[in-house]
Amino acid sequence: MDFKHYLQVLKEHTPYDFSDYSDNSIKRRLQKVISDNSLSLDELIQKTQNDQVFVERLVEEITVNTTELFRDPELWPAIYEKLINIIKTKKTFNIWHAGCSSGMEVYSSLIILSELGLADRARIYATDISKRMVNQCKKGVYRYDFNGGQLKAFEKVLKKNPIGGIKSIDFSKYLDVDVDNDKYIVKDYLRDMVITRQHDLVQDDVPFYNKFDVIFCRNVLIYFNASLQSKIYQMFHKQLYPGGALVLGNHESMTGFFKTKFKKNGAVYQKTNAFHFKYQ
Amino acid sequence: MLRANYKAVVIGGSAGSFSVVSKMLSQLRKDFHLPVIICLHRLKHVRSGLVESIRLKSNLEVIEPNDKEKIVNGKVYLAPSNYHLFVEYDGTFSLSTEKPCNHSRPCIDHTLSSAAYVYRNKMIGIVLTGANKDGAKGMKDIFDKGGVTIIQDPKTCEVDTMPKSVARLIKPEKTLSPDQIVEYLNQLA
Repeated sequence: MDFKHYLQVLKEHTPYDFSDYSDNSIKRRLQKVISDNSLSLDELIQKTQNDQVFVERLVEEITVNTTELFRDPELWPAIYEKLINIIKTKKTFNIWHAGCSSGMEVYSSLIILSELGLADRARIYATDISKRMVNQCKKGVYRYDFNGGQLKAFEKVLKKNPIGGIKSIDFSKYLDVDVDNDKYIVKDYLRDMVITRQHDLVQDDVPFYNKFDVIFCRNVLIYFNASLQSKIYQMFHKQLYPGGALVLGNHESMTGFFKTKFKKNGAVYQKTNAFHFKYQ
Repeated sequence: MLRANYKAVVIGGSAGSFSVVSKMLSQLRKDFHLPVIICLHRLKHVRSGLVESIRLKSNLEVIEPNDKEKIVNGKVYLAPSNYHLFVEYDGTFSLSTEKPCNHSRPCIDHTLSSAAYVYRNKMIGIVLTGANKDGAKGMKDIFDKGGVTIIQDPKTCEVDTMPKSVARLIKPEKTLSPDQIVEYLNQLA
């Protein structure tokens, strides 16, 4: 199937542009949609042009929505060690979770901020391309069974490697548990702290007026090709305050021109304070 | 079938494969000239440790690649924990966090199949000991593209389900013990 042709059709008839996603992964995911729905390419094009509900579902299918509470538990102490230095002296600070999926990382970070006594100074923004994911982030309801292990793994890490002196967390302050229905439910006061928007990193202007102290964008850009990645790095650079930080996934590495405008420390890329006429 | 100029060796393994891979890497020629791409099932919550242990004995440099990293000859690449590892047409890796397949992330089928489409008949696919059927489909793709398919001899496996699942889908070109696999790789020109 000529998936590049299809991506052009999608771009012309819908708000979604996947033409600069990594070839291999977008192709594989499109093929899955086609076989799951037993469609021919012509039928897929037809449906894409005429069926908005189908398009929304397709977008969910071809974007990756994996997320976990405290994904990569061992990395959080290192990440927060850097972030604490950036935010601790600020009266208020802004954090953007770009590509937040169902929001588990948003709340993981917010729980750490609360433990550090910094949450009341934080303004948290979360965006995702998928409307359904944004709604899930707002709801904050997650599978208990799946995430229980994650919380335990994170607790273990904290014991060995405390974050700002925090060695253990009483999660019942933040999450209600409904074992019978296999649910974790994020408490209202935490959910109320998060401002959510549907937003496509590839196309839309940033939906917020303010700049950011921290941008989390972990395991999102791996689905984009290198040239689109550079474009997004440029946009993040523009949206960060000097000294602000971009947090990438464990196995992502910034490449290209904008690499020189950040100081890398593990997964944390801190915008350097150097003055640049063009991009400041 | 004439298949000179191999471009990569791709290895999958699960239960019992860690010691096999360690030993193989300690016996590979120091000047081994192909990239060796390895996908092992590993524990999700334990990020570190595996690559360090494998490095201890390896004759070649062992790397857990980043997304978009270029694949270089003579280096060993180990699929990082909690990511799928794919080979891309431009000779780079890509990573993905899409859902586990065959109950695993990394999934061996994903790595083997993506490599099969890129390297076609210029690759060697190897499936080692393991307790499930991950890797079988990937080996079929390598087989279909004309690549060399090798399974670890079930008699030498801690758990033989994985190589046997391959043998149910295709007739592997070679069934070898770990020592024989190393011998075969070392004699590649």
